[in-house]
Amino acid sequence: MKNLKLAARETKQRTVINISDVAVGRDFVVIAGPCSVESEEQMLESARAVKSAGADMLRGGAFKPRTSPYAFQGLGLRGLKLLAEAGRQTGLPIVTEVIDPRDVSWVAEFADVLQIGTRNMQNYSLLKEVGQAGRPVLLKRGMYSTLEEWLNCAEYILSEGNPNVILCERGIRTFETYTRNTLDLSAVPAIKELTHLPIIIDPTHSTGRVNLIGPMSMAAVAAGADGLIIEVHYKPEEALCDADQALTPVIFADIMARLRPLSSFMDKLPD
Amino acid sequence: MKLEGIRNKIDKIDRELLVLLQERMGLALRSRKFQPSAVDSKQEEDALERMKRLNLDLVKSSFSRQLLKTIIDESKRLQDEDRRLVAFQGEHGAYGEVASRGLVTAGAYIPCLEFIDVFRGVEAGDFDLGVVPVENSLEGAVTQVNDLLTTTDLKVIGEIKITVNHCLLATEETDYREIRVVYSHPQALAQCRDFLMRNKLEARPYYDTAGAAKMLARENPKASAAIASDLCAELYDLEIIKEGIEDGPSNSTRFLLLSKEPCADRGDKTSIIFAVAHEAGELYGVLKLFAEAKINLTRISSMPLRSDPSNYSFFLDFEGSQGDAKVAEVLEKMEAMTISLKNLGSYPATKGGL
Repeated sequence: MKNLKLAARETKQRTVINISDVAVGRDFVVIAGPCSVESEEQMLESARAVKSAGADMLRGGAFKPRTSPYAFQGLGLRGLKLLAEAGRQTGLPIVTEVIDPRDVSWVAEFADVLQIGTRNMQNYSLLKEVGQAGRPVLLKRGMYSTLEEWLNCAEYILSEGNPNVILCERGIRTFETYTRNTLDLSAVPAIKELTHLPIIIDPTHSTGRVNLIGPMSMAAVAAGADGLIIEVHYKPEEALCDADQALTPVIFADIMARLRPLSSFMDKLPD
Repeated sequence: MKLEGIRNKIDKIDRELLVLLQERMGLALRSRKFQPSAVDSKQEEDALERMKRLNLDLVKSSFSRQLLKTIIDESKRLQDEDRRLVAFQGEHGAYGEVASRGLVTAGAYIPCLEFIDVFRGVEAGDFDLGVVPVENSLEGAVTQVNDLLTTTDLKVIGEIKITVNHCLLATEETDYREIRVVYSHPQALAQCRDFLMRNKLEARPYYDTAGAAKMLARENPKASAAIASDLCAELYDLEIIKEGIEDGPSNSTRFLLLSKEPCADRGDKTSIIFAVAHEAGELYGVLKLFAEAKINLTRISSMPLRSDPSNYSFFLDFEGSQGDAKVAEVLEKMEAMTISLKNLGSYPATKGGL
C-alpha cells in the first residue's frame, strides 16, 4: 500500500494508547453503553450496569447520524453533559461520535475519545479537524470501504499530528440480508499485518442481532482483536434508536464473564 | 411568535423584574446611611404621583399605585431589619458576592463598580463592611487590591477561601458552535487561558464576571459568551455550555473582610505590609525575626512601590495574633528596621491554605 507514511507497519512496535487507566493496544478493552444518550436516568443506569459487568469505557451518542431526517437526532450538547456526568460518576472514560467539524473542539471538551462513524469515514474535513483535537480517535470502517481506503483515512488523522487512532471494524455491506452487515473478521489479522494501530470489533452493528453478538465477540478475541465496542441499554425495549440490537445488562454481563477467560487464554498461547 | 416563545419571554421579564427589585432594595438600604429615618411620606407621595403620569394603558394607575406601595412597604420593612451593608466589587452573582455571603450572614450585599469604590465606601461609612479578593491560586496576587491595601486605613477582620468554578455561559438563542468572543473579568479570562486557546475563542476583558453575564443576558451580542459562576447562570437566565473550564484542577481565591474597626476577637492570623531600605540584608533581617520567634508565614508577596518603583512593598501574612507576646515583640523590633510598617490587623483564619 502506497502513501501510508505513518499508518504502515514497519517495525514490530505496536501503538498503545493510554486513556486514563486503560491501555488500548495492550489490554483487551471493552467499550459499552447505549446507542444514544436519552436521559439522565437512562445514561446513569446504563453506565453503572456496564461498569459493574466490567466494561473499560463508556459509549453513548449525543449526535446521531440517522438514515431518516425525522429519526431521533440526539440530545446534542445536553447529551454530552449527561455522558460526561455518567463518566465522572462511574470513573469510565467516554467515547462519543462527532459528526460536524464545528462540534469537534466542543466534543473534545467532554469526551475522552472521539468516534468517527462509518458514514463519515471519508469526511476529510472532519478527519482533519479530529486530527487536531488532541484526543484519541476511534475510526470506524466505512461500510463500503476497502482496507486501503480505511487506512488512508487513518493517515489523514495521523498526518495532522494525532498519533492516537483506534480502528474499528463494524461490518460491511454484502448481498446477505439476514444480518445487518457482514462482519469482516479477517480484517483483524490483515490490519495487524498492515499497520501498528490497534483494531477493535463492533459486533452490534455488524450483526444487528442480539443472539449473534456473544459468539462474534468471542470470535473477535480469538482473531486477535484489541477490544470490542458493544451497545448495552438498561431497558432495550425503551431505547430511542436501534432498540432491537442493544443488549440487556444481564446478557452483556454473561458475555463479559465468558470473554475475560478466553482473552487470558489467548494471551498464554505461544506466538 | 409562537405560544412557547411568548411564554419564555414572559418568564424572562418576570425574572428581570425580580432582579431589578433586588437592586432597588439594595439602594433603599444604602439610602438609610444618609437619612436614618426611613419614613419620608412626602417624597413617597411625590414618587407615586410621578408614576401616575407615566400613563401606561395596560398598567392602570390604581394597580401601579398599589404595586409601588407594596414595594415601598417591603423596603421599609427591610430598612428596619438593620442589616449590615457589605460591599463587593462586581454585579450580583460575582464571586465577591459569594465570598460576602460566606463571611457575613444576613447582610445586604451591595455591588460596586470598582475595588476602589469598596475601599472608599467603607472608609466613608457608606458601607459597614467590604469584601475584596487578595490572591488566586492560579493567577497570584490581585494587584489592584494589594495596591489599595497599602494606602487604606481599613482593618482586615476576616478571610475566606472561595473555590472558583468558572462556567462558560451563553444565552439560550446562541448556538455554542458559533461562539467566537468571550467576555469576562481579566482574572477569569487568565484562569481559563488554555480552554480559550483550545476552542479558538477570543478573550474580551470586562469589568466583572457577573457584569459580563448580565450584559450578555440584556444585549445578547452575536457569537458571544461569558465566563462567570453558575450562580450567574441562574440569576441572568443563561445556559451553562461547560462547567469547570479553569486551567488548574483547584482554583480558589482568598478574600479579605474589611472594616473601619479592628476585629473584636483576638484572631489567630495577622497581615502586615512593610518596606525596608534598599540595602543588603535588610529584608533578611526582618524575616529572621519571624524565623527566630518560630512564627509561621502563610503568605509572602512583593509589589513595586507606586511612589518609588525601584523599591518594594512586602505583604506578609502569618500565624498568630498581635495580642501574642512573641508577635508583639517581633512587630516592635520591626518598627526600627523598616521604612514603613502597616499592621492590617489580626483575624480568625479559615482552615486550610490557599
